[in-house]
Amino acid sequence: GLRRCLISMDIHHIEEAFQEIKKTIQAKDTFQNVTILSTSETLHSIKPLDVCCMTKNLLAFYVDKVFKDHRELNPQILRKISSIANSFLYMQKALQQCQEQMQCHCRDEATNATRIIHDNYDQLEVRAAAIKSLGELDIFLAWIDKNNQGTSA
Amino acid sequence: DGVAVLPAPQNLSVQSTNMKHLLMWSPVIVPGEIIYYFVEYQGEYESLYMSHIWIPSSWCSPTECPECDITDDITATVPYKLRVRATLGSQTSAWSTLPHPFNRNSTTLTPPVMEVTKDGFHLVIKLEDLGPQFEFLVAYWRREPGAKEHVQVVRSRGIPVHLETMEPGAAYCVKVRTFVKVIGRHSPSSQAECVKVQGETLPL
Repeated sequence: GLRRCLISMDIHHIEEAFQEIKKTIQAKDTFQNVTILSTSETLHSIKPLDVCCMTKNLLAFYVDKVFKDHRELNPQILRKISSIANSFLYMQKALQQCQEQMQCHCRDEATNATRIIHDNYDQLEVRAAAIKSLGELDIFLAWIDKNNQGTSA
Repeated sequence: DGVAVLPAPQNLSVQSTNMKHLLMWSPVIVPGEIIYYFVEYQGEYESLYMSHIWIPSSWCSPTECPECDITDDITATVPYKLRVRATLGSQTSAWSTLPHPFNRNSTTLTPPVMEVTKDGFHLVIKLEDLGPQFEFLVAYWRREPGAKEHVQVVRSRGIPVHLETMEPGAAYCVKVRTFVKVIGRHSPSSQAECVKVQGETLPL
C-alpha cells in the first residue's frame, strides 16, 4: 500500500531538518494555546483506510499554503524549510505516481478532517497561521512515520 | 547593488559521484586581485512557488575557489537550479546559472571499495563509509560448482562485518554493490574477491 509508495522517502532526514529549526520556529508562535493540526477530530482519528488521502491532503496543505505564506529571512532556517518543502514536493510526486496502482480515495472522514485543519488555519492571521503550522510539522511527520513507514530510513 | 563590471563565471557544471555533488566553474581572473564567488540555489519548490527566492549555499557564500560542495544543499530528489556570481570589492558580476537543473538521482554510483579478510575460520568484510544514504548488498558464495549465492544487506559503515564461518580448505568469494534508497538506484557490482582458509587472497 502507501508504505511502498513512500519507501524511497527519507522521513528521518526531514525530521532532522525540522529538529534543527523547531525551537526557533515555535518561539515565534504567539498563539501557544491554539493548535491547527492536533485537535482531537483530526489526525488522531484517521483510520488506516484514510491515511493515503490524508497524507495527500496534508502534503498539499503545506506545499500550497504553509510554505508559501511563511516569510523567512534567516538563511539557516530558509535552507531547512527549503529542504522540507522540496522533500514534500517529491513525496507528492511519488504519491501521484503510485496512485494509478493503488486506491487513494477520499472518504468523508478524511475530507472533513482536512477541512477542519484549513478552517483552523484560516481563523488566524496568515503569517501567524503559517508559523504555527510550521511549528506543528513534528506532529505531521510523526503521524506519517507511524502510518506510512514500516521502519524509518 | 554594485555595478556589474566583472565578467560572470563561465562553464558551470556539476560533478556528482556517490551522492557527493560538486559545482564547478571557470575562474574569473583579475591579475593581483582575489575574487570571491557567491553560490545560490533554488529547489523545484522555489522555482514553482517562490521564483524570486534564491538560497545562499551552505558553504560557498562566499568562497575563493572556483568550485563548491553543494551536497548539504541538495537534500531532496527534485531538480535544483544553481547560480554563481563573482565579486571584487564593490564590483559584482552578473549571475551565471547552471544550464540544466541538477537532480541528485543522476549521481554516478561506483562499485564500493571492500576489504575481504579471514579471522580464523570467519569470513569478514570491511566496507568504505559512503555516508548514511548507502546500503551495501553483499553477495558471497563458496567457490565450487553449483554453490548457492548468499546476499546480506549491510548498513553499518567502516566496521568489519562477519559474513560466514568457513570450512577448512574451501574457498569463498565476495562481491558487493551499493543501494541508495532516496534515489532508488544500485551501483555496479565490485569485482569478486576470494579467500581460502589457510590460504592467501586468490586473484580471480
